[in-house]
Amino acid sequence: MEQMEKYNLKTLVIIPAYKEAKNLPRLFRELKEVPLDFDIVVINDCSPDDTEAVCRHHGIPVVSLPVNLGIGGAVQTGYKYALEHGYDIAVQMDGDGQHDPRFLKLVLSRIYEGYHMSIGSRFIEGKGYQSSLTRRAGIKFFSWLIKLLTGQYISDPTSGFRACSRELIRLFAGSYPKDYPEPETIVTALRNKYRIAEVPVIMRPRQSGESSITKNLAAYYMIKVTLAVIMAAIARKNEDGAK
Amino acid sequence: MNGMGEMSSVLRIILIIGSLIFFVFIMNMVRTKKLELKYALTWILTSFSFVLLSIFPEILFFIAALMHIELPVNALYLCVISLLLLIVFTLSVAVSRQALRIKTLVQEIGLIKETLERMKKEG
Repeated sequence: MEQMEKYNLKTLVIIPAYKEAKNLPRLFRELKEVPLDFDIVVINDCSPDDTEAVCRHHGIPVVSLPVNLGIGGAVQTGYKYALEHGYDIAVQMDGDGQHDPRFLKLVLSRIYEGYHMSIGSRFIEGKGYQSSLTRRAGIKFFSWLIKLLTGQYISDPTSGFRACSRELIRLFAGSYPKDYPEPETIVTALRNKYRIAEVPVIMRPRQSGESSITKNLAAYYMIKVTLAVIMAAIARKNEDGAK
Repeated sequence: MNGMGEMSSVLRIILIIGSLIFFVFIMNMVRTKKLELKYALTWILTSFSFVLLSIFPEILFFIAALMHIELPVNALYLCVISLLLLIVFTLSVAVSRQALRIKTLVQEIGLIKETLERMKKEG
């Protein structure tokens, strides 16, 4: 942490939120308890509930999208916000309470060490919420696929608890997948020679609301993400995107 | 050349009437600005070629003979389906482009709204 003070890196926590009015207050409370200096922005993806009001009530800056864009569009808005306001580090955290702010420091530590992306992985130590067996099988498959395509093993490629350096903020603000973006963006980052590290975190089951990937969509998810990951691996390198 | 020869008169009349109605309909859509000329162009060309084909079915016979298709009517189907595939694909490309533009606009509006509120608060 001394390092952070030395360089005085401006840090932003991006919370994409859709119908998270019930979960956000706890997350805000927990974030306030973290002894680090950072700002928060909630990207309200056109929620029909009180998500926006809850943010205002807690004095948290909120970007309310006039049309629902889905998780990718919301997160990208966060990266655009980070770029616009000159942040050095952006951390993505789900608004549903799965990601524990107590691990924020650990996730950020890898960025201080010079990595471009730091992913909070629930599978390194295997503690806490591990999600269902079928989901783990799907995640394992993506780990294998990413290893095959990039040579690097990522234990939790679907984790949405991740920090990015300034270079990746710029890259992702310019282009970001529409839905199910996590595995694809890992490959894009690795393909562009950015360095990724993982840290062990403990995740919790979501508090309320539903996951974006339901049973009926599982097959679609697998096919779409597999294709997206392969396309990202053979995509043209994004040299001008990093300017 | 039979198959077309037998039913040619009926098919031709249907084609001529159909494509003429279609042509008028398209032109009217463009006139009332409901259809952009850019997209109407494809359809105008399509309906025009239908009129042409129904008046001169020999073109179809020629295509059928060229591609070793026994029934000229099948050559007609082939042409129509290929054309439709082309048009639908073009539309998919157009939709993708629109989606990206809309996404960028939505994000921009969200960010601008936030800035505006911040400025209002700060006075």
